[in-house]
Amino acid sequence: MQFQQGKPAIGIVFDSDLGNGVDAALALALLYGLEGKNEARLVSNSTSRSNLKSAAFAEVLARFYAGPPPAAGGFGGFQRPASPIGMAGEGSLAGDTPVLKVVLEKKTADGAPAWPHSIDKLNDTADPVPLIRNALTAQNDANCMVTLAGPATNLVKVMDLPGALDLISRKVKLLAIAAGSYPDGRADVRIKADVAAAKRLFAEWPTPIVAVGTEVGDALPFPGSSIEKDFAWAPAHPIVDAYRANGTMPYDAPVPSMAAVLYAVRPDGYFKLSAPGAIGVLEDGRTRFTPAAGGRHRYLVIDPAQKEKVIQAYVELASAKPAPRQTQRFRPNQKKEAAPPEPAKNQ
Amino acid sequence: MTIMRKALHRRSFLRGMGAVVGLPFLDAMVPAMALGQARAARPPLRMVFAYVPNGIIMEQWNPAYEGKLGELPRILKPMEPHRDDILQLGNLTHNTGRALLDGAGDHGRCSGSYLTGVQVKKTTVDIKAGVSCDQIVAKHLADQTRFPSLEIGMEDARQAGDCDSGYSCAYTNNLAWKSETQPLPPILDPRALFERLFGNGVVLSPETRARQADYRHSILDFVSEDTHKLEATLGPTDRRKLDEYLTSIRDVEGQIERAEKTNAQIDPHMEKPYGIPADFAEHFKLMTGMITIAFQADLTRVVTFLMTREGTSRPYREIGISDGHHPCTHHQNKPDLIEKVTQINTYHATQMAGWVDQLKSAKEGGGRLLDNMMLVYGAGLSDGNRHLHEDLPTLLIGNAGGAIRTGRRVVYRKETPMCNLHLAMMDRMGIHMEHFGDATGQLSFAELT
Repeated sequence: MQFQQGKPAIGIVFDSDLGNGVDAALALALLYGLEGKNEARLVSNSTSRSNLKSAAFAEVLARFYAGPPPAAGGFGGFQRPASPIGMAGEGSLAGDTPVLKVVLEKKTADGAPAWPHSIDKLNDTADPVPLIRNALTAQNDANCMVTLAGPATNLVKVMDLPGALDLISRKVKLLAIAAGSYPDGRADVRIKADVAAAKRLFAEWPTPIVAVGTEVGDALPFPGSSIEKDFAWAPAHPIVDAYRANGTMPYDAPVPSMAAVLYAVRPDGYFKLSAPGAIGVLEDGRTRFTPAAGGRHRYLVIDPAQKEKVIQAYVELASAKPAPRQTQRFRPNQKKEAAPPEPAKNQ
Repeated sequence: MTIMRKALHRRSFLRGMGAVVGLPFLDAMVPAMALGQARAARPPLRMVFAYVPNGIIMEQWNPAYEGKLGELPRILKPMEPHRDDILQLGNLTHNTGRALLDGAGDHGRCSGSYLTGVQVKKTTVDIKAGVSCDQIVAKHLADQTRFPSLEIGMEDARQAGDCDSGYSCAYTNNLAWKSETQPLPPILDPRALFERLFGNGVVLSPETRARQADYRHSILDFVSEDTHKLEATLGPTDRRKLDEYLTSIRDVEGQIERAEKTNAQIDPHMEKPYGIPADFAEHFKLMTGMITIAFQADLTRVVTFLMTREGTSRPYREIGISDGHHPCTHHQNKPDLIEKVTQINTYHATQMAGWVDQLKSAKEGGGRLLDNMMLVYGAGLSDGNRHLHEDLPTLLIGNAGGAIRTGRRVVYRKETPMCNLHLAMMDRMGIHMEHFGDATGQLSFAELT
């Protein structure tokens, strides 16, 4: 165990509609790939689908990418338990999806669950609101990104906590949202799922926002051919099972959430950004971008010259083998102290 | 004291020669016409936090089930006679006890944040926490009882120095914080607590106390004149109540005297005050006995009880464990050390069970004293080996005057703030706050009832 000085890799708060297609699952896979390279840390993982299978799928992915456990022995504080998965207690997205059913109901040859998990009831999951807030409290200032790959339901509830806006302002550099169409376009299901929350999020979130529209997801899809090839190192892989369950192979899946995560962790060299402005949400779930100098919102723009590079990053990171995690501990700065004061007296 | 034909005041005292003895709730305190109403009225609620350090062996604390409490795990086995009076809460979390960029020092943080709900400042000098929930209640009830609150402990009330990786001993050795910079040190010495409860506020020197001891048998001797006057005005039920109550005071006093004599014989140079029994169980019984009396006499409604200080390395030779508590908790999954911690945890629970017995036996307003209490028995760490701050071991004992349905295990969602419980308890005590610590809302009493 080595103690390091300074900031750890950037923390990522990931909130998604996991199981609604494969976009969020692939984004998580990419994020785990970045974590394996110590470029990012997944500090909070929650789903806005109020469905235990969505949370269980998140746990399956976390277990798969966790890598070998740390060596036993030594101070027990170095052996932290897995972080809980947050799940919305209510919301419009609640039903099962083919992805969730196939992955979680898959059995091994001897009839055991192929992807075991411990989430069976509501209190096996975390309340996403304190989960996200608590994760933020543990980050260095300006060393955290929030990526939203689903409705804004959970994030606006975090904003409602006392002191949360100040906390977010201090800890979060950027909110990357994979929802909407830009500068305008069709209504996105992630916005429509909770229009009121989306409106509030864009209007009141205190940090810069970069939105990734469906147009980016459509133009830079994840190549279905990679599923058969690049993930073949694993005899069984939950992403492969999810991808196959989501559509008839071969197909290329739109993955705006992968773009959002990639941009959040590697902001340079893959995408361009729009001019600053403001994103508004219409009642029917469509988004509108209005350019404005000094605006806090931008949207991601495809750089035609970097398309192949982006796809390559998607594939390499999402299909990477789980790497042993380096448990890093950072020493806070120590200050010299003056003489102790008089002890307090009992009342 | 003036004995009146009309109702005896609830806060009447027996006085004499520097002694002030509060009275338990008597029928005579209510006008005859109103007696029926008074019996139907709700007695005051009391809030207690009894804290054990260094976490718990959770595998032996949490039952494998939820809902109605049945067979309890090994550590809680001594509580089985009381399971109908217990609400076992799961998954409560103190995020502010976690490192949150402050590095090592989980013991200092967890006790400092336990009732304050804030991340305490890592320092040995300019300490800073927050007003604890017990003190918020104490301030609110200050004019209703003789003592707004009582802070009780059984070990080490040092307020300065480094007790955990740069955290002041003020964090590990106190639970109650009157302001963000003023902790309230616990009273450790039974004699000091006795004199606080029954003295007139004058602190006696050991010499004066010794001279007093030469000529008196009991503090009750000083108030005997008032006692006789009062008894003459009471009916048989009240006389019996008063007799039982004064007997319990005399018992406590006798135990203190015996402890003082024993300690002097064992080692006249011992560092502990002579009133502190060497035996943990005896000390526990004395301190909790006096808390019970304080509640009976309505001397206070708010108590914090730090059984031993957070991070303590106290050995438990009483049960054959000569290793320190804290080192044992870093067991690294070695069975022999886990067994020792389990035995210590069980020993603590055994003492608590004895106290609950007493609180159930003490009658009040036609019911039991325990029925008018919320007694939280818990710790600021769950797994002491890994220093975990989630799923904190928490028993809520007593039903808050019928507001809480006990006899169950309720497991909340992960990361549910412990402060949500504090907020709910303060609400029951009559303090309606929007926010406290890092609470996200009141722990739902709908789920608790």
